[in-house]
Amino acid sequence: MLPNLPRENLLELCRRMFTIRHFEENLVLLHDKGVFGGHYHLYVGQEATGVPALSCLRADDYLFTTHRNHGHLLARGVEPKRLFAEILGRVDGLNKGKGGSFHSVAPSLGFLHSSGVVAGIIPLSTGTAYAAKAQKNGRLTVCLFGDGSLEEGAAPEAFNIASLLKLPLLFLCENNGKYGAGRAVAAAQSSSMAAYPLTELPKAYKIPAQQIDGMDAGLVHATISEAVGKIRRGEGPQFVEAQTVRFPGSETNWPTVPKPTNTALAWDVSDVPEKAREWYHSCDPLLIYIRELVEANRANRDEIAAIESQVKSEIAAAVDFATNSPYPKPEEAERDFFA
Amino acid sequence: MRELAYYEAKFEALEEIMSADERVHLINGTFLSLSPHRHVFQNLQKKFSERMFAPPISELGFCGLATGAAMAGLRPIVDLSTGSFIYEAWPQVANEAANAYSMSGGQTRVPVVFHLFHGLRGGGAAQHSGSPQAMLWNVPGLEIAIPSSPRDVKGLLKTAVASDNPTIFVDHTRLLDIRGEVPDNDQAIPFGVADIKRSGSDVTLIATSYTVQVGLQAAGKLAKEGIEVEVVDPRTLVPFDLATILSSVEKTHRVVIGDETHQSCGVAAEIAARIAESGFDKLKTRIRRVSTLDVPVPYSPGLEAHIGPSESRIMDAVRAALA
Amino acid sequence: MAAKKENPKETIELLRRMWLIRAFEEKVSALYAERQIVGLLHLGIGQEAVAVGALSLLRNDDYVYGGHRSHGHAIAKGADINKLMAEIAGRATGYCGGKGGSMHIVAKECGFITATGVVGGTIPLALGAAFAAKERKKGQIAAVFFGDGAGQSGSFHESLNIASLWQLPVIFICENNGYAEFTPLSAHTKIERLAQHAKTYGIPADTVDGNDLFAVRAAMAKAVDKCRAGKGPIFVECLTHRMRGHYEGDPAKYRELSQLAEWKKKDPIARVARALKSQKTLADKELAAMESEAQALAEKAAEFSLASPWPADDQVARQVTSD
Repeated sequence: MLPNLPRENLLELCRRMFTIRHFEENLVLLHDKGVFGGHYHLYVGQEATGVPALSCLRADDYLFTTHRNHGHLLARGVEPKRLFAEILGRVDGLNKGKGGSFHSVAPSLGFLHSSGVVAGIIPLSTGTAYAAKAQKNGRLTVCLFGDGSLEEGAAPEAFNIASLLKLPLLFLCENNGKYGAGRAVAAAQSSSMAAYPLTELPKAYKIPAQQIDGMDAGLVHATISEAVGKIRRGEGPQFVEAQTVRFPGSETNWPTVPKPTNTALAWDVSDVPEKAREWYHSCDPLLIYIRELVEANRANRDEIAAIESQVKSEIAAAVDFATNSPYPKPEEAERDFFA
Repeated sequence: MRELAYYEAKFEALEEIMSADERVHLINGTFLSLSPHRHVFQNLQKKFSERMFAPPISELGFCGLATGAAMAGLRPIVDLSTGSFIYEAWPQVANEAANAYSMSGGQTRVPVVFHLFHGLRGGGAAQHSGSPQAMLWNVPGLEIAIPSSPRDVKGLLKTAVASDNPTIFVDHTRLLDIRGEVPDNDQAIPFGVADIKRSGSDVTLIATSYTVQVGLQAAGKLAKEGIEVEVVDPRTLVPFDLATILSSVEKTHRVVIGDETHQSCGVAAEIAARIAESGFDKLKTRIRRVSTLDVPVPYSPGLEAHIGPSESRIMDAVRAALA
Repeated sequence: MAAKKENPKETIELLRRMWLIRAFEEKVSALYAERQIVGLLHLGIGQEAVAVGALSLLRNDDYVYGGHRSHGHAIAKGADINKLMAEIAGRATGYCGGKGGSMHIVAKECGFITATGVVGGTIPLALGAAFAAKERKKGQIAAVFFGDGAGQSGSFHESLNIASLWQLPVIFICENNGYAEFTPLSAHTKIERLAQHAKTYGIPADTVDGNDLFAVRAAMAKAVDKCRAGKGPIFVECLTHRMRGHYEGDPAKYRELSQLAEWKKKDPIARVARALKSQKTLADKELAAMESEAQALAEKAAEFSLASPWPADDQVARQVTSD
């Protein structure tokens, strides 16, 4: 379903989803051309979770994310060119080239720190929530992580402390572990976690928890809005598990793009390689969203194609900017590690 | 100048720090380990209870909480109590807190203090006698303060809290009851400034933490043998004041280093390397280290006493340096 | 009443063992007060029914792991109390040659693998033993003791998850005495029963009166059967109380005197004695004789320990790594 929002907001969400999608696809091209090294992780297939969810936040809220962070940063409004530059290790990157993909930050947008260690950010999120509570500034913290993080001891320790202190903290778990199209929402399961469903883990600490379809932008928006409202009213932490089907291009060791996205794919997947076709047909949240916009008469195909076209130009310019940004001088390695 | 017990100076510092800045929160512990002086902590609790949080036994969890809170503008001091327990929190201290400022390109500051009691405490056995500061010195991005006197604990704690960098504050239970002069007025001691605890012209003894006090005792006895030892206390490992040490070496030409971390890759090892690199020509004899032996700390009191940087081992090393 | 199902002869033996633990702990406490024992001492007085109830059902070759309050566990598993007391007293004749002390008991010959000074530290280790036991296919199982304080530790949860996923033959025995060090459980978590955590990971769990020997035995009998049959891990939570402070020397001001009085009425040893009396299996005289016997054995252990030599200094360099 579509979020219950005015048309211009719906189109803005669309624009941000396209931004993430084209950013990620261009990143794969850059990597395959050897422009940057190091591992990276795509947010493709999860856009309908990150974009509507983060749109429910205030400008001064805190966000923590993981190695799969590009989508979150872009959903929040980070400039694609600065993120490209960071992943390419250039001086104009978000972290001046010192962080790379896993550690990209944007403090003015609430991203103080990112960790490449699974569950590394979960205890940290209790800290910003603790600080916000102590400083009585009404700021909320969103902790974004995947299903794997729940296997780390840091997660239950944080749930316990968050519930004990009634922290203003939203745990948003993106479980991209649903394999195959057409499975029921409840069927998503992690093979390395004995607790099932995953919501049993926060519930053990009396943290309200729910599972939702992460591919349904409207459901995500409504659920997160409600959760955020509860937190701001002082009801303590909330947990939402948003389920999506893993993007086929993320199944291999190194990310791939089975088929470059374009608006028309929402109605015709015959061009997509067979292995990935079912995913694009039924599990691609961006294409689902586009179809819903059209079917609900909130936009027509041409409008959407135009939005996409503009995004593509922006991304192309961002790639240019990043590839032309210089590398930091080697001596920079010896500077700026102490305040 | 008035004389205070170390624990009194420490808590005077905590009280002043917390009164001056409401961003300072205390997380876990009493900052006294099992010392009987609980009343000083309870006084603090009465005054500042809303800024003191006693978490569950979740070192990883609450060190992460403190780090995150620091990123969000608070200035927390975490008491890990027994130093070995930092091993439970290692990922948050070494992989998150230490790296955040650098890997964000200087954007995210982490003004957190991790306080712990290190070393041989008497019957602590292997798991409660750790001195993790040597390992932590090998993690870039962490400052390390290591006081040895009442005046130093007060002054260094103030600087630790004021610093925008994650700081390890290395304390020792055997220091808590020693007495010393503490100035009346507020005095923060800057990091990176070593202190000459005792002047002498024959041998430079560099020591840290409780071993400074052991070294001073040894120096007193050696003076009766006509040997004058200069005791130099670095006070902070990061940043490190090599200049003061080299001036002393210039005077005495002989170095002994006493420290409670284990010998291999220990604090004494790093100090020795720096002196050898920059002051080799000043030396008339090889550098001697008096570190805790490279064995897991045994329980039995005699064995524990045997492995540490004791007064007799320090005296032997000083005499050997002059032989 | 459960005692009827139990064999009276066996019950007498169990009571004897409970008395041995009680007498041992009281003797060790007395030695500590005389400063014959140093360091940290955590006594299990009041928790004897858990140790004896649980371990009386295990085989010699089953693996048992403990925590900092494990003298009773070792004794219940069959440890030699002379060597045990000598270890706590730091003597060369102790189980670990004086190197481990109270919190690091190892009595391998009877299957008590190790204790630990780190809360919850042996839980992952017990998984390892269970894993090996499963591979070996000789029907061995592992059991690990920990307190309610361990429930907030991340590695406890990681262990529950892994034990469940891999269906490991391990019994998690939680001695919930309501206090993690000096803090009531309620201040550390909103969860009242740790068995709840086990259920979250799909592990069958039981909560029983830990001061009722027969209740503990009944729960353990079920657990052992299931485990040995390869049906995966089990969690047994025993509600009990420690009659002393967290450690010897802890005045336990955080505990209401009325609470202590309540628990005294539930003394596990007295309950078994009453049961045997009411069945006319034993009379007062015989029960009193049992108590004296236990005290005599503890006394002998103390004499043995105090007469034993201290470990020689050169022992520190031995057994650091295996030859």
